[in-house]
Amino acid sequence: MPESIISIQHLSKSFGSFQAVKDVSFQVNKGDVFGFLGPNGAGKSTSMRCMLSLIQADAGEIRLFDLPIKTHRNEILRRTGSIIEKPDFYKYLSAYRNLDIFARISGTYSSKRDIYAMLDFVGLHGREHDKVGNFSHGMKQRLGIAQTLLHNPDLIVLDEPTTGLDPQGIIDVRNLIIRLKEEQQKTIILSSHDLSEIEMIANRMVIINQGKSIVEGSVKELMSTEHLLIRLEAEPVEKAIQVLSNAFPDIAIELKSGNLLEFHLNRSLVPQISQILNAQEVDIYSLEAKRSLEDYFIKIVQQDAI
Amino acid sequence: MLFKSVINEFIKIVAKPRSYLGIGAITVLVGVILFALKSDGLSILSFVTSSFEQTLSFEGNLLNGNLIAFIILQMLLVQIPLLVALVTGDLISGEFAMGTIRMVMTKPISRTTLLLSKFIAGAVYTACIIIWLGIMALVFGRIFFGTGDLIVLNTDGLVILQEPDILWRYLSGFLVAFLALLTVASLSICLSCFSENSIGPIVATMSIIILFTIIGTLEVSVFDHIRPYLFTTHMASWRNFFEEPIPKSSIIQSIVILVVHNLVFLGISIYTFNKKDISA
Repeated sequence: MPESIISIQHLSKSFGSFQAVKDVSFQVNKGDVFGFLGPNGAGKSTSMRCMLSLIQADAGEIRLFDLPIKTHRNEILRRTGSIIEKPDFYKYLSAYRNLDIFARISGTYSSKRDIYAMLDFVGLHGREHDKVGNFSHGMKQRLGIAQTLLHNPDLIVLDEPTTGLDPQGIIDVRNLIIRLKEEQQKTIILSSHDLSEIEMIANRMVIINQGKSIVEGSVKELMSTEHLLIRLEAEPVEKAIQVLSNAFPDIAIELKSGNLLEFHLNRSLVPQISQILNAQEVDIYSLEAKRSLEDYFIKIVQQDAI
Repeated sequence: MLFKSVINEFIKIVAKPRSYLGIGAITVLVGVILFALKSDGLSILSFVTSSFEQTLSFEGNLLNGNLIAFIILQMLLVQIPLLVALVTGDLISGEFAMGTIRMVMTKPISRTTLLLSKFIAGAVYTACIIIWLGIMALVFGRIFFGTGDLIVLNTDGLVILQEPDILWRYLSGFLVAFLALLTVASLSICLSCFSENSIGPIVATMSIIILFTIIGTLEVSVFDHIRPYLFTTHMASWRNFFEEPIPKSSIIQSIVILVVHNLVFLGISIYTFNKKDISA
């Protein structure tokens, strides 16, 4: 049985009359890169804040490293590195001094050399003594990751770590997460709006919506049973719609523009599309079958809303 | 962890430009007062002593460094709470405003420890302000005006203190003045725990000081019962050290009331900060 690093059971939290988290449960195992997915306002950040005791949960049980956060907060946080929402630093201090300040209260000793090495690791070599107020968002994000890793934590919590980064920054963060998992066997939980990124990085995930966890499991398993999004350009398009509707009565075909159609279809039925259309003398100009977590995510959230 | 966190707080205070506003303001204000008294101090002094000249004769250097320091303290100890609150009112709320509180509180440091470290750092900053005021008033006053006996005009009349009897009174007075300013610092830190912006606690602290001062000044019987317990009533109790004889019971009462205020403000701060959701 895998070792549980995070166990959240029936977590609830309200702010006044607004219930931000209603009933969130999930488990993160050792070595997981765990995706924490949900639309804006779903309760991801609130759940993460409860997990790190930034806010107090109204109900539910939170255990990290098999210890309750309520009674073992400092012990747990000593083994955890995190960025919640966005990395905010003391703008009037240098990158080095910011890390020095956070290192001093992280519960482990970090030497000057460790701090310089970490700044080098995240690509801030040469900017150590620049004030953070002059840093771009991407540089602050790198510094945030440095702050997260400096005390060599076992668990890394990243709340939307790629938000606001340029494409190269996103690739850098993604590669860094993969390196942390593969080379250092860290356990990582990350929320992100870039769902394709979760699909690329995470091995397990939970989807939450309106404060409730809807589905949890391995990314591969959750994706394997899912229908694919088909984008088809065919002519004559009316005939294509009629033929496909007859062949697959359960699907909803959407005419996007011109001769472009979109619909969801089970993976096993995809090879039949071209056979059926060719037999009915419908010309196919392009056929794209996309297995997208984004589509899956939107669908499952919509189902939950119904 | 407390010691490490106090070091962090010192680093932040030293690096913040606003921390030097107080030092700068005291330097400029004392400089202006010293210049004004150097230019026209004797005529001001003769205006005060003229009513006594029929019964007393004054000899020696009356406008000396000791008198200058007393005048400066009397003038500035009203404004200095603002300079203290500028820094201490920002200690907690500033972390919320910048968002750094999220990063700090995901580290293995308890909220009480963090708050105590800020309180200690605020106290040291307050002490620095008082020490700088003392240096500016007493040292520079003596350099520019020399030394001599101190004449103090109280409600009971004129008190003349001999030169060797003065320095310890100043040191004691500064200690009580420090305690009074520490109460202001505690109040602003306490208010800082309720706010997530920097300006609110500073304005609220000054508003409370002004309100309490007005209540303390108004000769209305309704306020008679609460007046002795307002911390603002005791902010000028440093002056008691320049009475003859020294009203010890009055000083002790002031010290007790100021210490109780500090403890109450600190207690409220710890309770509030521990209960507060960090959703900034």
